[in-house]
Amino acid sequence: MTPTAALTEKREEEREGTPDRREEEREDGVRTIRAGWVAAALGAALLVALVASVALGSTPVPLAGVWSAVARGVAGREPAPGTQDLIVWQLRLPRALLAALVGAGLGVVGTAVQALVRNPLADPYLLGISSGASLGAVAAIVLGAGAGGALGLGLSSAAFVGALAAFALVWAMARRGGGFSPLRLVLAGVGIGQFLSGFTSYLVLQAGDEQQTRGVLFWLMGSLGGAQWATLALPAIAVPLGLAALLGRARALNALLMGDETAAGLGVDVTRLRRELFVVTSVLTGVLVSVSGAIGFVGLMVPHACRMVVGGDHRRLLPVSALFGAVLLVVVDLVARTALSDQELPVGVVTAMVGAPTLLYLLDRRLERS
Amino acid sequence: MRIAVEDLAVSLSGREVVSGVNLLAAEGEIAGLVGPNGSGKSTVLRTVYRHLAPHAGRVLLGDTDLRSLSAVESARRIAALPQERGGDFELTVREVVAMGRTPYKRAFAAEDRADADAVAGALERVGMAKAARRRFSALSGGERQRVLLARALAQDPRVLVLDEPTNHLDVRHQVELLTLLRDQRRTTLIALHDLNAAASVCDRLHVLHGGRLLASGRPRDVLTPALLAEVFGVRAAVVDHPLTGDPLIAFDHRSVAGAEL
Repeated sequence: MTPTAALTEKREEEREGTPDRREEEREDGVRTIRAGWVAAALGAALLVALVASVALGSTPVPLAGVWSAVARGVAGREPAPGTQDLIVWQLRLPRALLAALVGAGLGVVGTAVQALVRNPLADPYLLGISSGASLGAVAAIVLGAGAGGALGLGLSSAAFVGALAAFALVWAMARRGGGFSPLRLVLAGVGIGQFLSGFTSYLVLQAGDEQQTRGVLFWLMGSLGGAQWATLALPAIAVPLGLAALLGRARALNALLMGDETAAGLGVDVTRLRRELFVVTSVLTGVLVSVSGAIGFVGLMVPHACRMVVGGDHRRLLPVSALFGAVLLVVVDLVARTALSDQELPVGVVTAMVGAPTLLYLLDRRLERS
Repeated sequence: MRIAVEDLAVSLSGREVVSGVNLLAAEGEIAGLVGPNGSGKSTVLRTVYRHLAPHAGRVLLGDTDLRSLSAVESARRIAALPQERGGDFELTVREVVAMGRTPYKRAFAAEDRADADAVAGALERVGMAKAARRRFSALSGGERQRVLLARALAQDPRVLVLDEPTNHLDVRHQVELLTLLRDQRRTTLIALHDLNAAASVCDRLHVLHGGRLLASGRPRDVLTPALLAEVFGVRAAVVDHPLTGDPLIAFDHRSVAGAEL
C-alpha cells in the first residue's frame, strides 16, 4: 500500500469512527453524572403523580381538599360516609400508594431476574411464580368462599399460597444437576408456569356466572381496584426489604452479567447467589401478584428504559428502576381509572397497550445503534 | 508468587475429565497450557480460579493450599480471564474494569480512592484510559480483551489465569495482547491455541492430552515433531524463528501425521 493510500484509509477510518464514539461518550457522561439527578427528578415526579392520582377521577377533588383530607386521615379521624374525605382517604390514596409500591417492586424484581438469568428480555413472571399465584386466586374465586373460607383464606392469601407452591416446584426442578443455571431456571419456570396455567384455564371455563368470569379476568390482567390500607402492609414491608437485599448484592449482580466463570473468579459464590436471588425475587413477585394480579410489561420495560439512561451498574439501576416503576404504575393506573367515563380498565390492559409499543421502540432504537 | 497444581483430578457429572495433572508457574513466569480441544485445559484453569472444585489433588499458591482460603481471599490473589463474552447490559468500559474490585468490597461499600486508582491504573496499563466511558459491548474484539485484562489487573492479583485470550482476534491484536501480558511480569497461567504464540510468549509449557499431562518444560524442549504428531496428529518441522530465534513450528498443511503409513 502506498503511503498516500494508507493515509486516505486512516482518514476514512477516523471519519467513520468519530461521530459514533463521540455519541457514546456523550451518552455515558449523561449516564454517570446525572444518575443522582435522574433519581431526584423521579422522586419529584412520583410525588406529583401521587397527588394527581388522588385528586383526579370521576369526582375531582381540589388540591385543598386533598391536603385537608390527608391531614384529617393522618390525624386518625374516620371520614364520614359520602364525603370527599372518604374518597381521598379510603379509596384513592391507598390505591395510589399500592400502585407506587407494586410498580417499584416490579421494576426491582424485573432488574434482578434479568441479571439472574442473564437475559435483558426476562421479566418477573418468567419463573412461574405468578402462574401459581393466579391459579390460587382463580381457584378462590371460582371454587368460591366455601373452599377458601374452609381453609381460612382470602383472595390474596390464596394467591400467595399458589405462588409458594409454584416456587417450591420450580426450586425442586431448577436445583438439580448442581444447578440454578439460567437455562434450568428458565426451563423450569416456563414449564411449571404453563402447567399451572392449564389448571387456571380449566377453572375459568368452570366459572359459574358472568360476575365470576369478570372477577377472574380482572385478576389475570392485573388490577389495583382492591386497594385498602390493610392491603398495603405486606408490600410496604417486602418491597424495601427486597430492594435492600438486592442492593447489598449489587456488585455480585454486576459480575453475574459477565458470566458465571467471571463472577466465580471475582470471589462470588455463584450457586449461592442464584439461590438467594431466586428466593428474593420469588417472594417479592408472590407478594406483588397476590395484591394486584399479574400486571404485565412493567417488570420488563422499566429495567430496560432505566438501563438506557443510567447504565447497567446495579448500584444505580436498582434504585432508579424502583422509582421509575413507581411513577409509571401510578400514572398508568390513573389513566386506567379515568380513560373511559363509564368503566374502569384493568391496569394490566393499559400497561400492555402502552408498554408493548414502547418496548418495541426502545429495542428498535437500540438495534439501530449497534 | 509461584503457583503449582499438584496431582489434580476433576470429575464432571461422574466422569473424570482430568487426572494426575501437575503444573507449575514460577514467580514472574508465564506458563502455557497447550493441547487439542477437549484436552482439559479450561477445566484445569477453572479449578485454579475456583469455578470448579477438584475431587483430588490441590492448587498451591506459594505455600498456601487454595482450599484454606475463602473464595474472596483467593480472588484477591488470583485474577481470571475466562472465555466469556457477557451479555449486552449497557455497561461502560470503566464499569467492567471496576468489577475487578469486587473481592475488596463489602456489601453497600462505596468506591474509594484505592479503587479509583486501581481502575485508572489498570486502564492506563492496557492503553484504554481514553475509552473509559465507552460502551463495553460496542468495542472491537481486541479492545474488549484488553479491557477484560484491565479488569483482571484491577483485581491486583499475584497470579493471572487466562483461558485462550487471543481467540477470534486478528493477528495484530493477538500480538498486542500477548505483548501487553509479557510486560506485566506477573506469574501467569495461560491456555493458548496457537502453538507458535505459546512458543514465543511462554517461559514454560505444559502439554495436556485427553485430560492428562503429557510433557512439561521449556518450549524448545517440549515442542518436538514427535510430540506434535502424537498429541495434535499433525506433521511439522520445528525450526528457529528468523527474526526472534524462538522455536517456530512449520506445519505441513497437506497431510496429517501417519497419513503416509
